[in-house]
Amino acid sequence: MPTLSQFLSQAFNGIALGSLLALIACGLTIILGTLGVLNFAHGAMFMLGAYVAFVVLSHVDSFAAALALGALALLFFGLVIERGLIRFYYDRPHEDQILVTFGLGIMMVEAVRHVFGGESQRVPIPSWGRGIVNLHFFYYPLYRVETIGIATLILLGFYLLLYRTRIGLVVRAGIEDPLMVELLGTHVRRAFMVVFSLGTMAAGSAGVIYAPLAAIIPNMGEAFLVQCFVVVVIGGLGSFPGAIVGGIIVGEILSLTTLINPAYAEAAIYAVMTLVLIVRPRGLLGAVGRA
Amino acid sequence: MAEVRQGVVRWLPELLVVLTLAMLPFPCDALFGSVDILTRILIWGIFGLGFDLLFGFTGLLSFGQAAFYGCGGFVTAYLLTSGDLSNVWLAMGAGIAAAAAFSIIVGILALRRIGIYFAMITLAFGELAYFLENSPLARWTGGENGMPGVPAPHLEIGSFDFSFAGSWASYELVAACFFLGFVFARLVVKSPVGIVLTAVRQNALRTAALGHDVHGYKLAVFVLAAIFAGGSGALLGVFQGYMPPDAFALQTSGQLVIQTVVGGVGTLIGPTIGAAVWLLLRELLQQLPVLGDLWLFILGLVFVTLVTVLPKGIVGAAVRLGSHSPFAQPKPFTMHRSGERMDVAGQALLAPAPIAIAPDRKPAELAIDVCNVSKAYGGIHAVAGVSLALPPGRFHAIIGPNGAGKSTLLRLLNREESPDSGRILLHGIDITAADVTTAHQYGLAKSFQINQLFPQLTVRQNLRIGALGRQRGPLRLDVFRSADGFRSVELLVVALLDQLGLTGCADLGVNSLPYGEKRRLELGLALASRPSVLLLDEPLAGLSPGEREGIKHLIRDLRCGRTIVLVEHDMDAVFELAERITVLHEGRKLAEGTPQEISGNRKVREAYLGRMAA
Amino acid sequence: MPRLISSRNQIGDISLSRRSLMKAGIGATVAGIFLPYATSSGWAKDYPELGTFPAGAKGSTIFVGGVMPLTGPYSSSGKDMRLGFELAIDHLNDGSRITERIPTLKNGKGVLGKRIEFQVADSETKPDPAVQSATRYIRDNKAVMLTGGVSSAVSIALEELGQREHVIFMVANSGSNDTTGKDCQRYGFRSQLSAYMASKALAPVLAKEFGRDRKVAYLVPDYTYGHSIYDSMKEFTGKEGWTVATEQLAPLGTTDFSSYLLNIANSGADVFANLAFGADADASTKQAQQFGILTKMKYVVPNISQFQAKELGPEIMGGTYGTQAWWWTEADTYPLAKLFVEDFEKKNHYKPRWGASEIYLQMLVWADAVERAGTFYPIDVIKALESGHKVDSIYGEVWYRAGDHQMVRPVPVMVGKKPNEMKGPEDFYRIVEIVPGEQVMPPLDETGCHLQPYET
Repeated sequence: MPTLSQFLSQAFNGIALGSLLALIACGLTIILGTLGVLNFAHGAMFMLGAYVAFVVLSHVDSFAAALALGALALLFFGLVIERGLIRFYYDRPHEDQILVTFGLGIMMVEAVRHVFGGESQRVPIPSWGRGIVNLHFFYYPLYRVETIGIATLILLGFYLLLYRTRIGLVVRAGIEDPLMVELLGTHVRRAFMVVFSLGTMAAGSAGVIYAPLAAIIPNMGEAFLVQCFVVVVIGGLGSFPGAIVGGIIVGEILSLTTLINPAYAEAAIYAVMTLVLIVRPRGLLGAVGRA
Repeated sequence: MAEVRQGVVRWLPELLVVLTLAMLPFPCDALFGSVDILTRILIWGIFGLGFDLLFGFTGLLSFGQAAFYGCGGFVTAYLLTSGDLSNVWLAMGAGIAAAAAFSIIVGILALRRIGIYFAMITLAFGELAYFLENSPLARWTGGENGMPGVPAPHLEIGSFDFSFAGSWASYELVAACFFLGFVFARLVVKSPVGIVLTAVRQNALRTAALGHDVHGYKLAVFVLAAIFAGGSGALLGVFQGYMPPDAFALQTSGQLVIQTVVGGVGTLIGPTIGAAVWLLLRELLQQLPVLGDLWLFILGLVFVTLVTVLPKGIVGAAVRLGSHSPFAQPKPFTMHRSGERMDVAGQALLAPAPIAIAPDRKPAELAIDVCNVSKAYGGIHAVAGVSLALPPGRFHAIIGPNGAGKSTLLRLLNREESPDSGRILLHGIDITAADVTTAHQYGLAKSFQINQLFPQLTVRQNLRIGALGRQRGPLRLDVFRSADGFRSVELLVVALLDQLGLTGCADLGVNSLPYGEKRRLELGLALASRPSVLLLDEPLAGLSPGEREGIKHLIRDLRCGRTIVLVEHDMDAVFELAERITVLHEGRKLAEGTPQEISGNRKVREAYLGRMAA
Repeated sequence: MPRLISSRNQIGDISLSRRSLMKAGIGATVAGIFLPYATSSGWAKDYPELGTFPAGAKGSTIFVGGVMPLTGPYSSSGKDMRLGFELAIDHLNDGSRITERIPTLKNGKGVLGKRIEFQVADSETKPDPAVQSATRYIRDNKAVMLTGGVSSAVSIALEELGQREHVIFMVANSGSNDTTGKDCQRYGFRSQLSAYMASKALAPVLAKEFGRDRKVAYLVPDYTYGHSIYDSMKEFTGKEGWTVATEQLAPLGTTDFSSYLLNIANSGADVFANLAFGADADASTKQAQQFGILTKMKYVVPNISQFQAKELGPEIMGGTYGTQAWWWTEADTYPLAKLFVEDFEKKNHYKPRWGASEIYLQMLVWADAVERAGTFYPIDVIKALESGHKVDSIYGEVWYRAGDHQMVRPVPVMVGKKPNEMKGPEDFYRIVEIVPGEQVMPPLDETGCHLQPYET
């Protein structure tokens, strides 16, 4: 029987884990919701962000620089990929889109392995993140607490972008009804470009944030990709707030299950995902009419 | 002689396959030193046959087929290695049965959703199965080590014992299984089941509205795909002598999808071609020393290129090339005059089919009895307390300004939606809770306002699907019949084509038809099941005056004792055709009567033209 | 089947003395019995076909297939292994300072005069691609020997394949007890120390360093190897009075260990034993440090991955106790190891790790066995390997135990060096003790190994 302290520490851990998942997943969900593309290369985008952080931090000692450059690099990369490859697939059936992103993901992982090797790289924790903080019931790494904050700030930025700017309005309308937006004269294709790049930027930023916590290897995005799918399904395809709620939920499931039986943590999230899909397929906060 | 030629053409794919299977091993052996790679390609091919039926033909993209592949493989391997069963064939049968049973459970849960949701449920189940194999069931499955020591199959006939160990013998066994699987898959595709599956992919709603139990067919093909998957998994285990745990992995499901798309979706042979490309490239790229660890990168690049450049896959591209060749003859398109009077025999064919009512019940007085139905969407009351009583043979029209609730009422009648309150009776049978398919089987059919056709099929095939619904019942797995093997159906289709004036374009794809012809086909689909109650939702919408005349003639011709409910905006047509008219306004019945009565009704004029103009 | 030792007794040299007549008579009888078995390649060989023999040994070259992870999470180990593999073949084909010192390999012209050709296939750390590639090497290239494997699952699968196809498989990297335990194969040989051996060697050193009656928190990867080493560690530290504070099972490929580490941090243990491997070990160690576990508890890694110290840095790994199959400072103890490190570093510009050393070691031990057997016929080679003949190798004297094909070889127990203790960029560990292999071998009846008869 877990003690209160154990329970609280895992519950808090779930939030930390979940905020990161939410950041990655919100990128995936806006791409999925607007473009209808299930981006199988999303995990690789996350990985790329971590490697950018590694490269930047081996030259300068500024985490802020790493975060800024990582976000920008993935923004730019997303733009290039969207213009160069993805946009030819909007009229193609879903499975073709899935496959092209899947192939792209493989290419990214292997290219990174070729350049950096298969050994894991490490990124130091920023100086303002070192140490442990006493959260009354338990001790917790300071940096992980800070990641909640950083992730929240970035998500807030996305929120402002999506809900308070004109381009955000177009994006949200595009999630509802891409055809209509086009008919209304807006260059919806340009909006698609923005959406895709924002999505990859979200994943890349998450990669930078996560880099000090992880072993940075080319395959590091794979586990996160499938967890992201689960988050998006639970939260609702195309729903930005859904990604946040879904992320927290999945983070909590992963953490709290280890109190009962650690081996079943992964299986638990799949079981919950299946349940949601059967009982409420649009997810907790997804729009009606997508089943 | 023509029959022989026809026979050859019909069975051409099977012939080609058997010839290729017989000839391929020889160059392969010379090139590679063994035929193993062919055997592996064919195992993926068998896996792919089932998947192509599921995805290529029915449109259900599953990312969890590995669950059944692994299930079949591990159950077979376990039975053989634990000594519970020594007969390899029985063990393989048990493995396939286990995969099928598993798929029934997954199918019932997953098929409640479509599209990406369905794909994600199957992905989740695939991962769950992988987890089960790795952890809780590791004692039986060997966990991440898999199950080694699976014996090779042998066949005992009398006193002879044929062993299937060894490269060539394994190939022969797998090739034989592939051929049998291919023949069976082709039978399915050519059967009525196949055409219904194709229809489901192209327009599931219409397929259901034509009396086919869509969910039942989906489950059937899902289980069939699992059977193929389980069989190929079992073959992998006995072929390799080892059952690998990565049979359950997500990558296996993903590889299947990639191979199918690259090879060509909906071609049956596509997955095999895709597997050949993947496996051969993988071997080839790894053997080039200059590439080293970049082989997977190049493989990824090749796939991205193939998917981009060949949207229909390799086989699809080959087929397209073939159709552009001088050997392919363009099919002629001829316009046909519409509305010629049909002969008596044709009319008899198209008369309403008898309704199945229990013999002890007397036929109902009313064909349609709508009692006080209401339907609201949020705050909007689309239909509020509408009643309608139509005796058999009545031609009834429903009119009203926009937003009156006409289309909603028709959708309620057709059982596409359920009323919030009230009852609907069809020939005395309460269909308020029934679904579209059941209502159709009772003799109700609707012609839709927006064409709901099967765009990638021919006109004839469209009508055939319509006619097969009541002929075969909602769910029938008659894979050994040919799709065009119901004589009565074929005669009916010919008669329909004649009546619709579509005989000239009978074998053209629906996509290439002009709008007028499509509209007539839409009507034809509703007629194909010989309904006793026909709902017509704005049949004249979007037609030119000449075409309107043609359709009006057609509608007049098809009365033959049918009850018809017509929703239309073209008042001339309504007043010409209808016996009685109901006027709806803001969801309520405003007036009802003969055309004369309605045209003189002040309230009706007010509703249409506003108070001042009345 | 007895070998025909010499052909001369049959045909020539018939002299009239009774002795020679008797000899001739015996010779003729012998010839009469064995003549039907003579192959087309001449009198000298009368072995039946078995596996890839004699097809693979007919020409002037022989083929050895290597299956290693070149992509996937273990690719860095795989790369190290491949470089060791290539170096071994170089040395065998063209001679080297090391092969000079091994009596049977002095010639330096391949094995039994045949040059070795080789290929390396990517196992992708999955059993199925590994089996696929290995089968190709057997069927198409007629490999006389296969080697490789990094995960135990792959290694066991390839051992089974070797057994079925009658081709020897030298397991290069596999730590699970089962590899020479319940999954042992007549055609499989393993050089790496098993979990049992590592734990048995490590536990006394730990007790000496940290004291008796300690509480240990374990992070265990949830697969056979993880369970294997957990059981062994529990057994041997238990003998020193150590108890288990908590056992945290983490699925393979976990990237975020925070939930498990929290439980470990709360467990009240004195020692944290991390049984994860590769990238999992890196991530969990890093995160453990962030949770303050490494400052609160002593850190033990019973099976240290090849590049763990390089990837994590000496700040973290300093003071960590554990074992590795081999560490390059063994060059100070074994002269051949010194030569190996020099040759490898000259070619590849870094100090070899135990991926490279294990495969290099086995290649030479195998070559030695073939030379002693005088043939590539698998059963004779197996018997030569089982004979207990001690080879003076880069690990010192090593030999295989006949009962389970586990190599008896030294077990180095080491501790990580802190940054100020390092005398060079790769000087990550100080070897505390090199435990002789004989002292830590599991009793044969406890291994669960039942080798198949030769003639299956």
